[in-house]
Amino acid sequence: MNISINPIVSLLIFPGGLVLLLSGLAYEFVDRKLVARFQNRIGPRWFQPLADLIKLLAKEEIMPTGVVKGLFIFLPIVAVTAILTAALYVPMFGFKPAFSFSGDLVVTVYLLSLMTLCTGLAGANTEDRFSLMGATRALTQMFSYEAPFLLALLGPAIALGTWNIGQINSAAGHNLWFILAQPFGFIAAVIGLMGKLELPPFDAPEAETEIVAGALTEYSGRGLALFHLGRDIELVIGLTLISSFYLGGLGSPLDFLWKTLILLLVTAGLQSLFARLRIDQTVGLWWRVGSIVVLLQLLAIIIGKVVGPLIPFLARG
Amino acid sequence: MGSEKKPEKFVVSIGPQHPALKEPGHFEFGVEGEVVTSATARLGFVHRGMEKGTESRTWVQNLYLMERVCGICSHVHAMAYAQGVEKLANVQVPPRAAAIRELIAELERIHSHLLWLGVAAHEGGFDTLFMYSWRDRETVMDLLEAITGNRVNYSANVLGGVKIDIDEAKSAALLKGMDFLEKRTQHYMRVVTEDETFLGRTRRIGTMSPELALRLGSVGPTGRASGVPYDVRVDAPYAAYNEFPVKVVTDTAGDLEARFVVRIKELYESFRVIRELVDHMAAGELTTRIPRRMPEGEVVSRVEAPRGELFYFLKSNGSDMPERIKVRTPSLCNWGSILATAVGHKLADMPMILAGIDPCFSCNDRMVLVNRGNNLSTWSWEDLRQHGIEYYK
Repeated sequence: MNISINPIVSLLIFPGGLVLLLSGLAYEFVDRKLVARFQNRIGPRWFQPLADLIKLLAKEEIMPTGVVKGLFIFLPIVAVTAILTAALYVPMFGFKPAFSFSGDLVVTVYLLSLMTLCTGLAGANTEDRFSLMGATRALTQMFSYEAPFLLALLGPAIALGTWNIGQINSAAGHNLWFILAQPFGFIAAVIGLMGKLELPPFDAPEAETEIVAGALTEYSGRGLALFHLGRDIELVIGLTLISSFYLGGLGSPLDFLWKTLILLLVTAGLQSLFARLRIDQTVGLWWRVGSIVVLLQLLAIIIGKVVGPLIPFLARG
Repeated sequence: MGSEKKPEKFVVSIGPQHPALKEPGHFEFGVEGEVVTSATARLGFVHRGMEKGTESRTWVQNLYLMERVCGICSHVHAMAYAQGVEKLANVQVPPRAAAIRELIAELERIHSHLLWLGVAAHEGGFDTLFMYSWRDRETVMDLLEAITGNRVNYSANVLGGVKIDIDEAKSAALLKGMDFLEKRTQHYMRVVTEDETFLGRTRRIGTMSPELALRLGSVGPTGRASGVPYDVRVDAPYAAYNEFPVKVVTDTAGDLEARFVVRIKELYESFRVIRELVDHMAAGELTTRIPRRMPEGEVVSRVEAPRGELFYFLKSNGSDMPERIKVRTPSLCNWGSILATAVGHKLADMPMILAGIDPCFSCNDRMVLVNRGNNLSTWSWEDLRQHGIEYYK
């Protein structure tokens, strides 16, 4: 849908700032509710994520001894800022991206990983052992899923010959859905997103039975609220990205709604199906299986691109 | 990361307050990266002085106290105590009372094992199995409530028999409940033996050889999963286990998976023996008379709690109060197995190895005096009292 919105409005209210925050909370609710129902629980009420956020924001923020104060305060802000910025290049809610330039796919993926980077730094900043372990795990996990996730997003980009998210989005709608053309890329992208968001079974970096809350153990109040908010928004952006790439593009808000919600249903199902993977199992899974499958698919795409135009030529002899 | 500059060990301490432990214990794991290089345990955070407490209560009052040693296996504690007192008084409980004691003990085993299944799954990050097994556990909790009136401390025992009887309606409810639970348990057996991610967390983790299990004195399902065929119900039958025997379930693997399998197979045995008990229980009296003052003497009473052998020592001086009661719970015997198997595994495996023995903290806690030097000394009662006053000042 091509509606031109005043840049200030698009930054602060829609599709940038406020609406994005609220949709992040809404998607967190849907995710929690779905997982709860899969696990035979009741689940939260619809306003629970918002209530959590307000409560955390109102609480005292305790600064532990031994941290670098500036980092401790700034990391959550940087994380949320990066995520909010990333949203500007993504066709949020089915609308044309607010800003775009050729190659914004790489920038967006980079901005999305800034969240994990900030979490890792936040953990390494404190002296707490659980935080340090969590930070190590978060960064280890990032190094394992980041490459396959990027490669999975590059699949459609290379096939369509553009690295501009907006163009990929509109072109994906006219082609065969990439989930059919590149199924392995789709799987890698969905699982990579779950790894990015540290959802079960990839929640080793914040495994509560081992290392309490991982890298964010020492965070309370505002900082914790911002990190949670950042992750919620990352969930929406990630779902949008994957559905615009692999589920035939997002042409309208209705498209956005049903495609992302179906994707969320899938991820919620995956979250409740498995036992938590140890960090070494996660790394092994990604590097032994994930990357190789995605690389092979990428190779197939490239060969297809090179050989494809030759076929009529060869047939003519 | 101050600790990385110095080559000293990076110690991750778990507990006494930690999300993995719902009861207070303290564990220190030395780690290199993710690999555990050393493990120590410290207990004693919930020491309640119950053994001492028994000495100022009558034999009858103590039944109430001993039932509260453990919140999960309350019935076996009361049963072990009651059996000991009956042995002291040289009283035989009527066969129907013995059968009802066994019935409640087996129901309790089902509830305890299902609870453990959920907790262990949760420690491994498998919350779906946690939620489902606890939902199904409600069936047996409801049955226990219907039979005894209580969900946790059933207080089914009295000295010389039991308080409660099983009528037609309760029998029917029991059989129906067992059918449902058996079906669900078969499903859980498939989950713990076939789910790839779960097997990745349990297979070849925390392996304990039979020799090691014997040397460390492991009891209960922990020992049986390592191939130690020891079960008080079979080796020294009590209550009605002579007429309604159970089979010993063992496994040879000795890893966490084997502990899951052994406990689930024990559930099958419990279902079977409960059905037999309901169908063939002897009719008759529920209690016999028992004196208020016990004759002088010492007895040992052993029962198989869900976690393993529960040991009671009772000493009477001929009055209406005991001279000494000593309780040794199965968890205390199994701590060693954790510390012995932890080294070399990943930190992520620690919660599951901990949960693997089904630890129960409050019932095994005791006062421990650790002497770091060689100055072994004996503390008098006055010293202990003074220490207590100083400690809590």
